Amino acid sequence: MSALGESFFRPRDLGEACARVADLVTRGVPHHVIAGGTDLVVESHLRPPSTVAPPATTLVDVSRVPELVEFAVRGDTIRLGGGVTFLTVRRAPALAPLRVLVEAGKDVGAIQIQARGTLAGNVVTASPAGDGVAALMALEAVVGLRSVRGERAVPLRDYYQGYKKTVRAADELVAWLDVRVPAADAFQSWRKVGTRLAQAISKVALAAVVERDGETIRRARFGMASVAPTTSPLAHVERFLEGRAARGLDLAGLDAAVDADVSPIDDVRSTAEYRRHVARALVREVARGLAPK
Amino acid sequence: MKLQVNGVMHEVEASPTARLLDVLRGPLGLTGTKEGCGEGECGSCTILLDGLPVNACLVLAGQAEGAEILTVEGLAAGQLAPLQQCFVDDGGAQCGICTPGMLIAAEALLRRNKAPDDAEIREAIAGNICRCTGYQRIVDAIKHAAVVRAGGAS
Repeated sequence: MSALGESFFRPRDLGEACARVADLVTRGVPHHVIAGGTDLVVESHLRPPSTVAPPATTLVDVSRVPELVEFAVRGDTIRLGGGVTFLTVRRAPALAPLRVLVEAGKDVGAIQIQARGTLAGNVVTASPAGDGVAALMALEAVVGLRSVRGERAVPLRDYYQGYKKTVRAADELVAWLDVRVPAADAFQSWRKVGTRLAQAISKVALAAVVERDGETIRRARFGMASVAPTTSPLAHVERFLEGRAARGLDLAGLDAAVDADVSPIDDVRSTAEYRRHVARALVREVARGLAPK
Repeated sequence: MKLQVNGVMHEVEASPTARLLDVLRGPLGLTGTKEGCGEGECGSCTILLDGLPVNACLVLAGQAEGAEILTVEGLAAGQLAPLQQCFVDDGGAQCGICTPGMLIAAEALLRRNKAPDDAEIREAIAGNICRCTGYQRIVDAIKHAAVVRAGGAS
């Protein structure tokens, strides 16, 4: 038997996917929704061998659900289907204005992972090291949650409640992500600090979208990975910057704002001290980028 | 289950939740696709799924139904494809474990980009790990193959 059980459903559309998941939830059947499989299949095969067989898992494959793999440009909002892959983000000309997400997409694994990994999968997995999530936060993403009960919209910055804890109910699917298209002259940057260039999990990653009126910072949105129990916005940094002149920023004040936003830990990939240092450095790098000499 | 592999439709007895890699290597007997890490890191099981390079260790067989699959066995038609011949001629293969995945990753690149530069080649094979060649000969072979495919001198 496969490590992932034997029951496999491939709904034709989003409605059927929601109905299937609702039915499994109601009947208490252990199940997973699978798209690219870049988390689920890895975890199922790395599970330590046990004398007790894992519970049979029913899979609902949404990798080809048409509504999920599409995207639509609607003025200054782009609706990205949950099943849009990182490779689609990189290659679709209509998505090029989302520069911060395009750049983050290049750093998600290598091309084989980018071709399978989806935006919704990145959101649902809820890793503290969610590179795509950080970029989506900087783009002020709103998460569209769909179930047989209806649809609701939750800002991505309110979606995570703690380590691997989210507001998503068991019967809800991430159907779409609405992102705000930054002004054409917005400063957008993506920086990932990892052990090597490709195929590495972030030690710290920062996504930034900053809009200015002349010298004054009008709007600043950040997403940072690997410095807190969840991938997080930087609310203190955003408040610190907005309304200020980009030139001559008080860097000690900026560092203090970063400190208020992050709570890094020591783990196998890095130390809390190093992560705090890099978090400050990456935010300072954005500040320098806003006021080039 | 029905799977279309290298242009041929196969009827195969397999669980839809089996890894595509295991179905290719097992019931279908296509052992050119190698298993390295089994967790999507090394790229030795790279195949094309509807033209896109993916790790066959992370795709479930049921997810590949209705898609076109290309494995390394599908590259050669009677004789080695120019890409394969360049790997032979330029020392792009040593122990051979990464080679099928490298060839498929390179095939995916050359279909989109007929004259890639070194940086583009290195990015295209960033998900394929080789422990023998130091990569330069692989990069050379792919560059050489691009010239041959464009009708240039071999």
